[in-house]
Amino acid sequence: MKTKGLMFILLLTASQVLIAQNVDINGFARTYEGALYNNGNFGIIQQTLNLTFEQLGDKVAFKVNPMAYLYNADSLDFRMRELYLDLYFKNFDIRIGNQQVVWGKADGVFITDIVSPLNLTEFLLPDFDEIRKGVIATKINYYLGNSTFEAIWIPAFTPTERPQPGSIWYVQPDFPVPPTWDLSKETITPSLENSEVFLKYTALTSAIDFELMGAYTWDDNPTLHVEKQFGIDSATMQPSLLGLNITPEHHRLTIGGGSFSSEIKGVILRGEAAYYNGKYFLTEDPLQPDGNIQKDYLHYLVGLDFNIGSVMFSSQFIQQTILDYENDILNEKTENTMTFLACYDMLRETMHLELFSYIGLTNEDALIRPKVTYDFDDSFSILLGSNIFVGDEKGRFGQYKENSMIYTKLKYSF
Amino acid sequence: MKNLKILVAVISMTISMSYKAVTQDFTAREIIQKVYNRAEGDDQTSFLTMTLINKSGAERIRKIKQFTKDTGEMEKSIMFFQSPADVKNTSFMNWTYDDENQSDDQWIYLPALKKTKRISSDSKSDYFMGSDFTYDDLGDRKLDDDTHKLIGEKTIDGVDYYLVESTPKDEEYMYSKTKTWIRKDTFIGLKKEFYDEDEELLKILHIKKFEEFSGFLIITNSEMHNVQKDHKTTMVLSDVQINTGISDSKFTERMMMRGM
Repeated sequence: MKTKGLMFILLLTASQVLIAQNVDINGFARTYEGALYNNGNFGIIQQTLNLTFEQLGDKVAFKVNPMAYLYNADSLDFRMRELYLDLYFKNFDIRIGNQQVVWGKADGVFITDIVSPLNLTEFLLPDFDEIRKGVIATKINYYLGNSTFEAIWIPAFTPTERPQPGSIWYVQPDFPVPPTWDLSKETITPSLENSEVFLKYTALTSAIDFELMGAYTWDDNPTLHVEKQFGIDSATMQPSLLGLNITPEHHRLTIGGGSFSSEIKGVILRGEAAYYNGKYFLTEDPLQPDGNIQKDYLHYLVGLDFNIGSVMFSSQFIQQTILDYENDILNEKTENTMTFLACYDMLRETMHLELFSYIGLTNEDALIRPKVTYDFDDSFSILLGSNIFVGDEKGRFGQYKENSMIYTKLKYSF
Repeated sequence: MKNLKILVAVISMTISMSYKAVTQDFTAREIIQKVYNRAEGDDQTSFLTMTLINKSGAERIRKIKQFTKDTGEMEKSIMFFQSPADVKNTSFMNWTYDDENQSDDQWIYLPALKKTKRISSDSKSDYFMGSDFTYDDLGDRKLDDDTHKLIGEKTIDGVDYYLVESTPKDEEYMYSKTKTWIRKDTFIGLKKEFYDEDEELLKILHIKKFEEFSGFLIITNSEMHNVQKDHKTTMVLSDVQINTGISDSKFTERMMMRGM
């Protein structure tokens, strides 16, 4: 906390220097409060300062984007969202430093968009520009007409960030007996051998835009290797489970995929798919000694964007399928989800109405997110919204039924 | 946001200087065709300041840097939004094809999302960035989308005008008709009235100033007034440059993401 505060002061001091050097500075200040429907408690009290320092030249550019989140009154979370240098050449660019990378054509769903890990400490509720974490990487883009070849090398693996115990978004794993945790293998040592490589080809043409990608990466989510300890129940004289030793460990993944978008008679058709080779899944198969089995896995989406009058609609169907499925695997063989978005601007685009929802078709649950935003002027806006979780409590969204909330955000952009 | 080539091409209402005083008679269609087909140069760079003025006089300002280029088979344009702060570095690219059967291609780059999205070019009656100009007003309208009728010829302050009434062939269109006052010497429509579906006057476009750049006349100041709601939008062009040889590489995803 003390170190973060000091960094923040240093940053403000640095900003004065950058202003003096005509560096472009903008950002926003935001206050965000949300109250739970269940008990009226505040599920979130967050103040945010986002600063962006940019200088764009013909051959060199840089960007520094620190963000400070103050939770409640005393918990300061300082994040360097991006800090990178761009080098521009005739046919290629190089970006070096802490950067966010966004791939694919999906909205709110992460299929080929796997370069930047996610911050899921507030589930999927943060704006999508804030849910990704920056990664220290070297990115090279080579341009040929309307095509782009992109190569990314990440020397140090960064995993997805998940809610910690004490958070309303933390879900206690369900084990038959209290486990012991062995965290010795959870961290990937930065090394050449452990680095990640991502490749992408992009084409933007009049008929269709498409991307092809491949990755040799780490699974952002650790596999929970389970070691079971058995003994003899003295009452029944039968073998019984006495303990569990769980070792989280990230494993390598090889992923290939692609995405496209095209306009057909005023409707935008989008698609995206990724094939994951050798992903681990928890299983109850007694022949798997550590409770996991490797299977290939397919994740894909099709979506439509269209307008009816002045209302913009977007809908996506997403399917995750485990190939060569075995019944002992704890995950469902397929999991189907839909998203739905409707947007309408009124009062000369000063009032924005939006309804976004995830609908879990497999578990019959949903997250429904209506919101209305009013721009008092070009810098200041107020947002009133709600996050409503409904459906089966075993589902990805239904499990957060108690976290349905109403919230407001006031934002000043500069 | 759509078809912004047209912000330069039509809102600017570029015309050739190589005109002669018009003495011959034209049909209404020919007059409108001359308005639509004015020479624009092969490429154009300009800075657009758009001011939205509400009933009480309060103003909201949008600033845009824009580039257009006619490649022969299509016209490409790209816009970079500079203000307000929440849309800064957003960019928009449009490719309009000479083949009238081929729809425009449009993309928007949202810097916060770091994503270039293809968007539909199908909403020509939508208002551009909350202004009083629809995309059609900005130039998407095709010559034969309307039936044109010459309803008068007038002399105002010593300048001769054609007065042409244009009625859309599509009865569902947002305007029932428009009336355009067109200078006979330059074929610039200096004033245009837009009538709503009930044939009530809805909006009036006034061209306030035009200037010569590299042998082309560019309208640099125009105002659209919604008389029913009493709000206005002004568009002022500055730093206009014509035929500077803008590279094709300006109109790519690379530039959308990089910025100006």
